[in-house]
Amino acid sequence: MTLITVQGLRKSYGAREVLHGIDLTVDDGEIVGVLGPNGAGKTTTVECIGGLRTPDVGTIRVAGIDPAAKNPELRQILGMQLQQCHLPAKITPAEAIELFAAFYRNPRRTAELLELLGLTSQAHQRFEKLSGGQQQRLSIALALVGRPKVAILDELTTGLDPAARRDIWAYLQKLTDEGMTILLVTHSMEEASYLCDRVYIVDDGRIVATGSPAELATSGGRQTVTFVPSEPIDPADLLSLPGIASATVDHGQVTVGGDAAAPQTVLAELIARGITANHLRVTGPTLDDAYLRVTQEN
Amino acid sequence: MHATIALFRNELRLLLRNPAVVIWTILIPIAALVVMCLIPGAREPLPNFGGLSVIESYQPTLIVFAATMLALQMMPMFIGQYRELGFLRRLRTTPAHPRDLLAAILALILTISLVVGLVLLTFPLLFGVGVMGRLALQSLLLVLVATSFLAVGSMLAAVIANPRVAAGVGAALAAIMWFFAGMWFPRALFPGWLATISDWTPGGAAASVLGAAAAGQPIAAQPLIALGLWTVGGFSIATRSFRWE
Repeated sequence: MTLITVQGLRKSYGAREVLHGIDLTVDDGEIVGVLGPNGAGKTTTVECIGGLRTPDVGTIRVAGIDPAAKNPELRQILGMQLQQCHLPAKITPAEAIELFAAFYRNPRRTAELLELLGLTSQAHQRFEKLSGGQQQRLSIALALVGRPKVAILDELTTGLDPAARRDIWAYLQKLTDEGMTILLVTHSMEEASYLCDRVYIVDDGRIVATGSPAELATSGGRQTVTFVPSEPIDPADLLSLPGIASATVDHGQVTVGGDAAAPQTVLAELIARGITANHLRVTGPTLDDAYLRVTQEN
Repeated sequence: MHATIALFRNELRLLLRNPAVVIWTILIPIAALVVMCLIPGAREPLPNFGGLSVIESYQPTLIVFAATMLALQMMPMFIGQYRELGFLRRLRTTPAHPRDLLAAILALILTISLVVGLVLLTFPLLFGVGVMGRLALQSLLLVLVATSFLAVGSMLAAVIANPRVAAGVGAALAAIMWFFAGMWFPRALFPGWLATISDWTPGGAAASVLGAAAAGQPIAAQPLIALGLWTVGGFSIATRSFRWE
């Protein structure tokens, strides 16, 4: 079932159009990432979906509700973590979670959220005394306290240490296993590869690529083969093979780039010549490569 | 309603963690009155104060002091800070509307103004100063006075976006209100033109009705009309020009 549908979304700030027609869908139980460079329109897109901004053109539905219609039911099913959100300086995490819990029909328990987001020992510290990472984790807790069906998380783990990121990822995966749907804005390819079922890459107000992180990574992405041959080999000979795009030698190590079949092609050629490939390594394309390719092409 | 109550309790807790608020709006006015009550001379009726004691003639001024500190100086600052902080915007993403937060803040400021005002009205009775029978009318007028200052404060919070500017303008306005309420110079000695201006300001009108009620004199219509106009005008400008972000 499709939970979020966006069709032909356009939005201008003054005379400058920042979204030139965005289409996206998020299915029930999916984690979908929105990636893109700064200023690409990611935050504007999710703020339109969250009803904080009104689109100029286009249709948005979140569980059948138009977010611009100020339907109070939307706020019960949609949890949002904003990129910049500050709480009153003297409130404590426990108080903030309890305050927000009072807004919802069936909130999560404060102790559970504090524990899962690693804030138990800061539960009674004032917001102004928390570190940036702790404030960030509190902000995530507040987005999740109402047991939302859909959570929109903007810059989820920016500024968190690697261990805290892993913990939060594991917690979010548990929540999606229980039926929650997540729309995630991120700069981190690692986060997108780890968490997302699908990603949309946005650049300059348009969607320039979409698919699962693995699909995107491999689409047109090249395989790289490196090895130290037992006997010298002329890179020009390798370049003449089908599907090979580059071949170089550096300090006796050969690096060959090519299509998905390239590793097999290179190995077959080496075997035919009776050459052994020592220290053989094959590296596949990454989401990083795909991201850079599509955003630079654009 | 549930959200507003939760926000009210939270705002009360945060307010009590703010020493400036507690000292200036609660402790100082009450301490000033307690000190006066302990001075026997201040309890004696004086002919040149129209038969009122020093305590009774300063009561309205202290009430105006506490109410203006809260409504004109503190409240626009709190609301401006919440707007600047993005907390009002954060609330828009929850089932609570930022309107609920404003309602909670207004209710809280009004509650504290009324509680402090009631202490200021009733405490001297323990020392035999004031007339018990006039307390009901005085309390009613206190509600009117506190509400009109709240309206003026809401107007400031709506019109002035920067919380520091709002607090500064609020402090200046509060000081002008204290002047019109006779804090530094007895109202009885104002020249005619100044008395006329004073009677149309919330501070002067408040002191006028509270003073009359304490003395057992009839309440004139003019200061009541002035307070009513400030209340209606302040709230309608506030609701029309309020900015959430």
